[in-house]
Amino acid sequence: MTNRKRVAIVPCSGIGKTYGTVSREAAYEVTEDMRPAETQLVPLSLLVLGDEAARAAVAETPAVTIDGCKLACATKMVKDSGGTVAQDFAVLDVYRRYKPFKPQGIAELNEGGQKLAHVLAEEIAGVVDTLGASSEGDQNA
Amino acid sequence: MPDYLETTVDKFTFRVATDRLYSREGVWALAEGKRVRIGLTDFMQQRSGDVAFAEVKPVGTALALGDEVASIETIKVDIALGSPVAGSVVEVNQALSEAPEAINQDPYGAGWLAVIEATDWEAERSRLLDPQAYFTVMKADAEAEVNKQ
Repeated sequence: MTNRKRVAIVPCSGIGKTYGTVSREAAYEVTEDMRPAETQLVPLSLLVLGDEAARAAVAETPAVTIDGCKLACATKMVKDSGGTVAQDFAVLDVYRRYKPFKPQGIAELNEGGQKLAHVLAEEIAGVVDTLGASSEGDQNA
Repeated sequence: MPDYLETTVDKFTFRVATDRLYSREGVWALAEGKRVRIGLTDFMQQRSGDVAFAEVKPVGTALALGDEVASIETIKVDIALGSPVAGSVVEVNQALSEAPEAINQDPYGAGWLAVIEATDWEAERSRLLDPQAYFTVMKADAEAEVNKQ
């Protein structure tokens, strides 16, 4: 059994914004359903507050960030916290590739938003797998 | 490079290019002979948010004043954009299908939407706002928007 470090998943904290909700739903799906053993959810709000455990989580492991808008707060905060962003996703870029999945709703996403969160989660899971494979390669080297 | 009128409202800075005319709704019109290039103003693009998709009426489309010339979907709203001039679409910014973010990044330049062969530009230009008039209207709208929050 390998002792791989878990990839930090850091979604947008845009409360009250549809694209922020999509980013969080995708993060929940990856960390709770798709890759629970390989990932850990790091709340952006804790990084903003300077929480030591959150800062340590992104400092010690590669991070995948999910930004809800061009301000890219998740990506910026991970970098400002001393972390390494292995891959940054922007919900808008994913939506441009999946136009039928128009997200609407805030507290509860519509069907399009749920589908968009799902395809985003699948892409993130793919990145997590890639990071895990390269990590194993490093350990075997 | 055009000159700009500029104002900052709250934390947002808005620019109005001084080399063109404007509709009250936030569409600019730049005369190029009988043809008129159109696009979204800086204020309009910032208020509307990041553009996801921009669909412009195809070349050959005949437009009356105010007819929908483009539909723009942003992360906040869907906009049906009325044409500031009557005429016929003669050119469409094809780059927007691949990179609609140009509307946000360069609203007065690379983010242009279409070129319209105006039916009667000389008559129609008098209905549009000059840069200073639009700047005043835009500033009032921006301040009202901020005070609403």
